[in-house]
Parts: sequence; structure tokens; C-alpha cells
Amino acid sequence: MTTTTQVVEAAPKARRERQPMRAAGLALVWLLVAFNVGVLLWMLLAALREHTAIFREPWGLSGFGEFGNFVRAWVDSNFGQAVLNTIILVAGASVVVVLVCAPASYVLSKTRTRLSGATAVFFAMGIGIPVQVIVIPLYSLMQELGLINNLFGLFLLYVALSVPFTVFLLTGFFGSLPDEIEEAAAIDGAGSVRTFVQIVLPLARNGLLTALMLNVIGLWNETFIALVFIQKPELNTLSLSLLGFLQTQQYAGLDYGTLFAGVSILVLPMVAVYVWLGRRIIEGLTVGAVK
Amino acid sequence: MAAPAVPVAVARPARRAGAGAAASGPLARRRRQIFWPFLLPALVLYLVFFIGPTLASVWISFHRWNGISAMEPRGFQNYLLLLDDSIFLTSFANTMIILFGVGATTFAVSFAFTMVLREMRGKKIVRSVLFFPYIVAPLVLSILWGFLFSSDGLVNKAWAAIAGGTGPNWLSDHLFLIVAIGLVWINTGFYTTVIMAGVDRIPPELYEDCSLAGATAWQRFRYVTLPLSWDVVATAAVIWTISSLKIFEFIYAFGGTPNDMPTPEIWNSALFVYGNTFGNRVPQFQFGYASAAAVATLAVIIVLVVLLRRLMRREAVQF
Repeated sequence: MTTTTQVVEAAPKARRERQPMRAAGLALVWLLVAFNVGVLLWMLLAALREHTAIFREPWGLSGFGEFGNFVRAWVDSNFGQAVLNTIILVAGASVVVVLVCAPASYVLSKTRTRLSGATAVFFAMGIGIPVQVIVIPLYSLMQELGLINNLFGLFLLYVALSVPFTVFLLTGFFGSLPDEIEEAAAIDGAGSVRTFVQIVLPLARNGLLTALMLNVIGLWNETFIALVFIQKPELNTLSLSLLGFLQTQQYAGLDYGTLFAGVSILVLPMVAVYVWLGRRIIEGLTVGAVK
Repeated sequence: MAAPAVPVAVARPARRAGAGAAASGPLARRRRQIFWPFLLPALVLYLVFFIGPTLASVWISFHRWNGISAMEPRGFQNYLLLLDDSIFLTSFANTMIILFGVGATTFAVSFAFTMVLREMRGKKIVRSVLFFPYIVAPLVLSILWGFLFSSDGLVNKAWAAIAGGTGPNWLSDHLFLIVAIGLVWINTGFYTTVIMAGVDRIPPELYEDCSLAGATAWQRFRYVTLPLSWDVVATAAVIWTISSLKIFEFIYAFGGTPNDMPTPEIWNSALFVYGNTFGNRVPQFQFGYASAAAVATLAVIIVLVVLLRRLMRREAVQF
């Protein structure tokens, strides 16, 4: 893990400039911080309010205590089934993609040949290919395989589409591990597979966890691929259910309370993960930019 | 995937002392044996689901195809039609406005925040809070953003309380502007973090020299901060280019009517591809035509990334 952020007190405190510009900037930063926290809190409060009250006074707190929103979201709008689908999909795909990419990243980072260098770049190119470019051929491919409207099909797509980024991330991690330990293992007569499983993987635990976490976040929030490949409500992922709810409700005037209950179900796990692993997530996502 | 980091140069692990010596030792020999078995699963997935479809997309773009019947070759016809299609031109223009307009705004705000955050207490917490929208589903952010600006949403209620009147009708008159501002909001935290990491590496004594020489804040920025964090900014620009062209859900969820997409006036090229294929809009399943639009977008990415890297490859400042 490359940590480059060190606390550097740049300007000497004694000469800290008190300018209107700085004050304005500071105000703006705090305003945005307050806005982000406020939006989150407002969403959680709205999820527990009666929806006409939200509409009547969005800034108020009247009609609070409507736990029925969550029940309605969970039962009527099928969020319950969607949560189950999403958890299984996301957990499965994230684990599998790390399992598939770890060995590949390991040999790419440790074999210093022209071929491995070129292959690493080749994988990284995939990050630059937007999914809308490949979605049409993928649709035909999945149709051939009979995997449209099929959770296994979605799982397969999720794994495959996460490969470029995961390989890129892990190649960096394995590259930062010292060679000496593996050399010692080789001299002790451990085979390379055994060395990898028993020595390298435990050493790279942090990198693997980061990769796992970032894939969980990315897939948990994924909407586009699911939207194209899933049309049956019972196979919906969480974001599809939310989208479906948004669209069907617009006939009858939106039930905002239930909508925000659904939104909370989607966001709260991310808040929890972020509070728990925020620093690691930030570092993992910015690692490519800051070498 | 939330826009991932993009390798500008895939990091080759630096050769450590001793690494060279092992190049022909037992370790290296064994590693050569496992090279292909370890690499293949990931490589096969990548070839089948990424590289194959990308090439297929180019191929399909030269045909008329609805996904079911036989393909009819059309040569460059699809591409020529795109140039006459006002919806495509709007989508493409929007894509570019997001890329350059939203991008420039985001970078400007991120730089300003970096300057402010550098000397402030509790910057770690502040940075984390600013970063948070970046990992929330764009769909959710879109719903919240839409509610904020709906005709009697939070913004207009506040407007009425402060200025009186009913407030502008944001979502029908200024929809694209609202989308653009929302995108700046989502991305600022990420780019602030990236730029900050670059700026933090600048040795503090340079700033001390600046203050001894009596440099203004602008001069400090212009002659120290910017040149010394240039490589990070260049990388961030490439990341933005790639991720901005992938934006879909945030715009899509501003849907107008049930089961329909938002008005084509705010489409970007990703929505255009979807709208001409799976988006329940007539005519749909125009696979050849939509592929042409997608390939055109990809071509733009490639050209821009190459250009960016050319333009921004300055003399690296040693420090």
C-alpha cells in the first residue's frame, strides 16, 4: 500500500495569511461538509416520515416515526428479495474476482519480462473501455448462452467486468512485496504454488482485502449492466428495485417516505463500510493516481 | 466500478538489490513454470468479455443489425447518419460539456479545496466527508439531487423562505445545469484527495522560501504548487476523461415519465447507446447504429488520453 499522505504543515503558522480568499474557501469547504452530512441525515429522517408530510414541509420533522415505510419497501416493493439477490451476487462475484485475479497479478508483478509488462498494460487498457461500448456484443453473447434474465449470467458479467481494475490494483500490491521471503521458501523446497498460497497470499492480505472491498462497493452500486440483462422483477438487484419503484410510483405521485426507506437500505451498508474502512477505501481508489 | 484509478504507467516494481541475482535462480525458474497457469483464468475472462466484445462492437458498427436477423453490411453509413442525428449531436455535445466543463470546474474547486485543507485542522475528517459521495450509488445521489431541486423540494422551500416567491423551476428549465452541478458535487472529494496527495509531497521548505521572498498566494500556487504536483494532475485528468464518459445512472435516474428515459436534451453518449438499444424507446434494438455511437465515443477517449499525455508531459521537476 503506498501511503503518500503525510501531514505536512506547509506554511509556517506564524505567517498564516488571513485573507478574505482563504476565509471564503474555508467557508465553502465547511458548507460542503455540512451539506454532505445534512443530505445523509435528511435522507434517513425522511425514510421515517409520512410521505405527505415530507411533501408539505421538506425541512420539517412532522409525521416522524413512520416505520411502516421500511415494511412497505421491504414487502410490497420486493426490496427484501432484491437485497438477498444483491448480497449473494456481490459477495460471490467479489470473492471470485479476487481469487481469479490474485494469481494473475502475482505472476505479472514478479516475472520481469517484456511479455509480463505488456500484459499488465493490456489488462489496464480494459479500465478505459466504457461498458456501453461492449454491452451490445455482450448481450448477444449472453443470449447465445441463454443467460439473459439469469442471476448466474449477471454474476459472470460482474466477475469479468471487474477483472481489469482488480488486476491493476493487485499487480501494484504484489510488486511491493519483498522477494527475499519467497526465495527463502524456494530454497527450503516449497513449490511455487505452495509458496504463493501459504506465504505470498497471507503477506498480501491487506491488498486482497482492499481489492475485495472496492469490488463490493462497485458492484453493490452497479445499475447499468443489471438494467440491461435483468427484466424479471424477482431477479432484481437492489438498485433495480429502487429504479423500478421510482418509475412505477410516478403514476400515483411518489411515495417519498417509502422511496427514501429504499434509498436508505441501499446506502446504509455503504455508510457502515465507509466508517469502518474509509481510509483504506480512499487509498485504494486513489492509488493509481498517486504513485 | 466507481471510476477506478488509471495506470498512466503501470508500475513496474523497482528492482531491488538481489532481484537481479535471482533472475536465473531456482525461484525464477519456478515462476516461469507457473506463469501461464496463474495468468490464464483472468486472461480468458478478459479476452472473452472485454477485448472480444470491443472488437465485435467495431465490427457491428459497420452493419445494420437488430440483434436477431442477419447483419447487413452498411460500411460507414451508420457513422454518417450519426452526424445528421440531432439527438446524437446533442448527446455528444453534452458528453463534451461534462468532460471539459464539469471537469474544469471540478479541478478548480479541488485545487481550491486542497489549498484550504492543507492548513486546516481536522482535514482528514473533512476529506473523508467530501469523498463519501464518490462511493454512494450514483442512482441514489441522483434521486436525492432531484428531490432537492424539485419544484417544491428543499431548495425552493428555502428560496421561498429567504427570497420569497416560488423559486425557479429547476428541473424543467435548467435540468442539464443541475445535472452538471451534481456531477461536480460527487467528484470533488475524489479529485481533492488525489491532488492533495500530490501537493502533500512538496517539501515544506519551498513554501518557507516563498514566504521569505514575500510571494503572494497566487505566486506560490503558480510557481511551486502547480509545477510540483503536475504529474498527479495529469494522471487525474486521464482518470476524469475515462470516468466522465462512463457516467450513466446519475443522468438516467432523472427520468421524466414511468419507464421512460429522461429527455434526450440531457443525454450523454452512454444514454444515447442505451436509448437506441434497450431503453424501451422507439426505434429500439438498433445495434449497428448504437455501436457506431459507442465506437465513436471510444475513439474520442483514445484520442484524448493520448493527447492529454502528450500535452501534459512536461519536464519533470526534480525535488
